[in-house]
Amino acid sequence: MFCIRGCGRRVAASLTKQHLASVRFGGDSAAPWTPHFDVVVIGGGHAGTEAAAAAARCGSRTLLLTHRVDTIGQMSCNPSFGGIGKGHLMREVDALDGLCSRICDQSGIHYKVLNRRKGPAVWGLRAQIDRKLYKQNMQKEILNTPRLTIQEGAVEDLILTEPEPEHTGKYRVSGVVLADGSTIYAESVVLTTGTFLRGMIVIGLEMHPAGRLGDQPSIGLAQTLEKLGFVVGRLKTGTPPRIAKESVNFSILNKQTPDNPSIPFSFINQTVWIKPEDQLPCYLTHTNPRVDEIVLENLHLNCHVKETTRGPRYCPSIESKVLRFPNRVHQVWLEPEGMDSDLIYPQGLSVTLPAELQEKMITCIRGLENAKMVQPGYGVQYDYMDPRQISPSLETHLVQRLFFAGQINGTTGYEEAAAQGVIAGINASLRVRHKPPFVISRTEGYIGVLIDDLTTLGTNEPYRMFTSRAEFRLSLRPDNADSRLTFRGYKEAGCVSQQRYERASWMKSSLEEGISMLKSIEFLSTKWKTLIPESSISSGKSLPLRALDVLKYEEVDMELLARAVPEPLKKYTQCRELAERLKIEATRNKGSSAR
Amino acid sequence: MWRGLWTLVSRAARGPHSPRPCTRQGSRYPGPGSGATIFALSSGQGRCGIAVIRTSGPASGHALRSLTAPRDLPPARKACLRLLSDPRSGEPLDRALVLWFPGPQSFTGEDCTEFHVHGGPAVVSGVLQALGSVPGLRPAEAGEFTRRAFAHGKLSLTEVEGLADLIHAETEAQRRQALRQLDGELGDLCRGWAETLTKALAHVEAYIDFSEDDNLEEGVLDQGGSPWGWEVEISGIQRPQVLLLSLSFPPSTADSEVRKLEVALGVHLRDARRGQRLRSGAHVVVAGPPNAGKSSLVNLLSRKPVSIVSPEPGTTRDVLETPVDLAGFPALLSDTAGLREGVGPVEQEGVRRAQKRLEQADLILAVLDATDLASPASCNFLDTVVIPAGAGNPSGNSQRLLLVLNKSDLLPAGCSDPHPDLPSHLLLSCLTGEGLDGLLEALKKELAALCGDPSTGPLLTRSRHQHHLQGCLDALGQYKQARDLALAAEALRVARGHLSRLTGGGGTEEILDIIFRDFCVGK
Repeated sequence: MFCIRGCGRRVAASLTKQHLASVRFGGDSAAPWTPHFDVVVIGGGHAGTEAAAAAARCGSRTLLLTHRVDTIGQMSCNPSFGGIGKGHLMREVDALDGLCSRICDQSGIHYKVLNRRKGPAVWGLRAQIDRKLYKQNMQKEILNTPRLTIQEGAVEDLILTEPEPEHTGKYRVSGVVLADGSTIYAESVVLTTGTFLRGMIVIGLEMHPAGRLGDQPSIGLAQTLEKLGFVVGRLKTGTPPRIAKESVNFSILNKQTPDNPSIPFSFINQTVWIKPEDQLPCYLTHTNPRVDEIVLENLHLNCHVKETTRGPRYCPSIESKVLRFPNRVHQVWLEPEGMDSDLIYPQGLSVTLPAELQEKMITCIRGLENAKMVQPGYGVQYDYMDPRQISPSLETHLVQRLFFAGQINGTTGYEEAAAQGVIAGINASLRVRHKPPFVISRTEGYIGVLIDDLTTLGTNEPYRMFTSRAEFRLSLRPDNADSRLTFRGYKEAGCVSQQRYERASWMKSSLEEGISMLKSIEFLSTKWKTLIPESSISSGKSLPLRALDVLKYEEVDMELLARAVPEPLKKYTQCRELAERLKIEATRNKGSSAR
Repeated sequence: MWRGLWTLVSRAARGPHSPRPCTRQGSRYPGPGSGATIFALSSGQGRCGIAVIRTSGPASGHALRSLTAPRDLPPARKACLRLLSDPRSGEPLDRALVLWFPGPQSFTGEDCTEFHVHGGPAVVSGVLQALGSVPGLRPAEAGEFTRRAFAHGKLSLTEVEGLADLIHAETEAQRRQALRQLDGELGDLCRGWAETLTKALAHVEAYIDFSEDDNLEEGVLDQGGSPWGWEVEISGIQRPQVLLLSLSFPPSTADSEVRKLEVALGVHLRDARRGQRLRSGAHVVVAGPPNAGKSSLVNLLSRKPVSIVSPEPGTTRDVLETPVDLAGFPALLSDTAGLREGVGPVEQEGVRRAQKRLEQADLILAVLDATDLASPASCNFLDTVVIPAGAGNPSGNSQRLLLVLNKSDLLPAGCSDPHPDLPSHLLLSCLTGEGLDGLLEALKKELAALCGDPSTGPLLTRSRHQHHLQGCLDALGQYKQARDLALAAEALRVARGHLSRLTGGGGTEEILDIIFRDFCVGK
C-alpha cells in the first residue's frame, strides 16, 4: 500500500530545457517499466489528499506525489477547521464522502457551532483541532485507501502530448517528470501545490525560498506553467508566531468553553471522539497601543508589509490592522494546538517583523507578559494561476486532463482547498473514463459558488468563502448538504460509499415521512396550549393548528412536541440530527405561518 | 531577480482581463454579438437635408479609413469634410462631414464614427452598402447602439428608458421629463437608495459572517457608524456573551436606515402613476348627459373633427379616443355616449361603455348644457357623477373632475354666473370659443397635478419602476418581521435586488467591499 520509490535513472526531455515542439511523448511509446496511473495528484495538503482519495473512491488507480510523506495532512497555519461559510464547505465535502470532516470528528479538541442564534442557514460548525492527531488520522486514512499509492518526490515538469481533437486545449498532459529525472505516466494530473510555486518565506527583511517553513519550494514546475502560457499572479499570506503554553498567564484571561453536546462535522457520525468535559478551552486577550508603537516604529524592517502583492483583507496581519485601522484594540485568541501540545496559537497576531521584535511585541500583551516565542510568525508569497483559466470541472483550458485545486487557484483556507480537491479528484477520474464532468452549480452548494466565482470572476486576493457570497444561502444550509449532493455524488460520480448513500436515503425518507406526519396531526390551538404550556401559542382564538405549524414557534422543538404527542412523534426524537432537521424544515416550510 | 519577474508576471496576470468586472452581470452577459462592428442609418428615413450614419465597434476606424482613403483618420471628435468613396470600386459616393470618436469616450463606449451625408436615398443606400462591404461590419439590430452603451456602462437602464422616451417625446412636458431621466436623475435616486440598502446589508452580512468567526473588531464600528454593542464585547468578555448581545438584532443602524428608506419609497410610490401618465398620456374622459356638447368639446380641444356632431341626442354611441397635446401635457381624450336611461340596446351599450371609461378616467370633463340644467338627465348626472367626484376624497383618489357648462352663448347676456349653487364650474361656448382659454388654463393645472411637474424631481415613468419599488418596499416589510438574521438579510437582499434591477448592476462583491472598507475583520 505504502510505497516510496527509488530514483529512476531515465532522464526525460523536459520543457524547462527544450523547446516545446520537440517534446513528443505518447502513452504508447512509454517503456513497459514506466509507472502508469489513471490519476496522479501532486501535493499532499488539504486539496491533494481530498483529490487523491476522491479519485480512488471513483475507481481510478491513483498516485499521490508529495515532497514528504510525513507532512501529509499537515495543518500549516491555524489549528482549527470550519467556521461560517467554511463549515458549510466541509459539510458538502463530507456529503461527497470526502475526508476532512470525518478526520476532524476524530481529532478535535474544542467543538463549537457559531452563529447559533442567527438562523440555521448560517450556522458555522467549527472546531479547534489537534494538529498531531489530525495528521496521524489523515495519514492512516490516506495510506489505507484502496487503489491509492503514495510516493515521495518533487515534480519538476509535465509530460505533454498532442491534444485530443474533440476537446479544447493546446496540449494534453500525459505524465510528470520528477526532480530525479524519472517519469510517471498518467491519464489525468491534478496539481495541488499550495504555496509551493516559487514560495518565498519572509521574516523581517529576510526572504528565502520555501513552500512552508522547512520545506523546499517548487520552482521548476512554476516555470513550466508559465512557459505553457498560464497567466500567473502573486499572492501573500502569513501565520502568527507560536508561544510556549506554560509561559502564558491564563488565569487573568477570559475563557471560552466548548459546546455541550459537540456537533460532529460528518453526516455519518452521531458523536465526536471526545467528551465535552475533556475538551480544552480557548482564551481571549487584546492588543494595546504599545503593540501599535512597535509595529509603526519598525515598518522599515518589514518587507512583507511593504510589498504590493495582495494579501487577504479579512485575515490581515497585525501590521495591516494597525496601518488600516489605527488607534484600536484588536482581539487575540489564544488557541491550543493539541491535547498534549505545549504550543499556543495566538489567532489574530499574524506578523512578519524580525523575530526579536515579534517577541518584544508579544510580551506587551496582557497574559503574555512572560510568554516565550517558540517559532516566529512569517509571511509567505507564492504564485497562483489566474483561475479564469480553468473550467468548472477544474480542468485547465490550456492543457487537457490537467486539473488545478487549492491555493494554486488563488484561494485560502483548508476547507476551500478540500472542496476543490474533491471536485478535481472526481473530475480527473471521470475524465479518464470519458464521462461527463461533475459540476456543482451555485444553486446546489457553496462548492458551486466557490468554483463559479473563481472561474468567472477570478480573484486578486486570497479567496475565502463567506455565506454572503451565496445567493441561495437560505437553501444551502449545513444541515441539508447530504440531500443536495450525496445522491448526485453516488449516481453521477461514484465517489460516495454504499454506507453513506444508505444513510442519506434513510434520512431523506425519514424527513419526508416526519413532515407528512407533522402535517397530519391537527388540534385546536387551545389544546396545543394545554399540551405545550411553554409555547407562546395564543389561546385567545381557537383555531385548528397542525403540529408542523406548532413546530415553527421558536421555543418549540421536536422534543417538546413529542412529549405532548408521544404517539407517533416519539420515534422522530431518537436521532438528534433528524429531530433538528425536522425543526429546520418546519421553519422553512411555507404555508400557514405561526406568526 | 525574482521580484522583477513577479512584477512583470502579475502585471501580465492583470493585463488582458483588467479592469476586473465589478458585477456579475457585467462579467456574464457581455451584450449580444459584442466584438462585431455595427452600422446603421441613425436619422429618420426618407429624403432630407442631412442623414447621419453611425458605426460602433473595433473596426470603426478601419471602416472610416476604407471609405475616406487615401486620407488618414481625422482628429478625434472634430468634424472634417471628406470625400466618401466605395472601397471596392473607388467610385465617389458623397462629400460628407465625418466624425471619429475613439472609445471609450463615445456614445457606446466603443470606437464610433459618424458620417453626415446628404440625405438622398441613393446616397444613404450607397454609403450603407459600402460599409457593409468592409470586413467585420454588419448592420445593427434595433436598439443595438443603446444596448452596447448599456453593456459598457455608459447608460443605466433608466437612462436607456429616458433616451427612448426623449426620442419619442411629443409634448413639452414629456421632453423635459425624458431629458431629466436621460441625465440619470431617476437612476441616481435609485442608486442612492440601493447604496443605503447595500450598506445596511453589508452591516448585517458582516455581523453574520464575521462577528463570531473572526471576532469583528469593535472599534471599527464607530467608524462604520454602527454601534451594535461591540463596545460591550470588548470590556466584556467572551464569545458566549457576544451571542447574548446579538439578541438585540436587527442591528440598530441597519434598522433605522431601513425605516428611512421605507418612508422615502412610500413617498415616491404615492406619486403613483404620475410619471407614467406623463409618459403615456393622462386619460381625460368627456362625459355628460346627451346633447350637452361633449363631441363639440372634443373636436374643439383636438382641433380636428373627431366626433360627428348633430343636434340629435345620442349621436355618439361608442367611446372615441384621440391623443392630444393639452397645454404641453399628453392626454388621451375620450368622447363618450351621453348618459341616459331607457333607450335602445345599442345606445345602452354605449352608455355602459361610457360608465366603464369614467371609472378609469384620470380626469373627467363633465359637460352640461348651461340652458338645460333642470332636466332629469342633467340632475341625474350631477347627482351620480359630479357631486360624488367633487365630494369624494380629494387627496386619496386621484380621479379629478372639471365641470363645464356649455352653450354659454345661449345664456342671457350680462349674466356672468347664473348658477352659483353648482359646484365650481367653467362657462364655455363650443360654438364661439368663448371660455376656451379659461378651460385650457384649468386643464393645465389639473394635468400638472396628475402628471407631476417633471422639473421638480424624478418621476417613475414606467410600471416597471413602480413594480420594483413596491417589491422593494414589501421586502423591507419582511425584513422587520424576519425570524432570524439570515432571513432578515435575505429580505434586504431581495429589496436590494429590486432596486438594482431598476438600474442594472448589483453584485455580492460590492457588499464585501463595504465590509472590508468599514470593518477590521480578522483573526
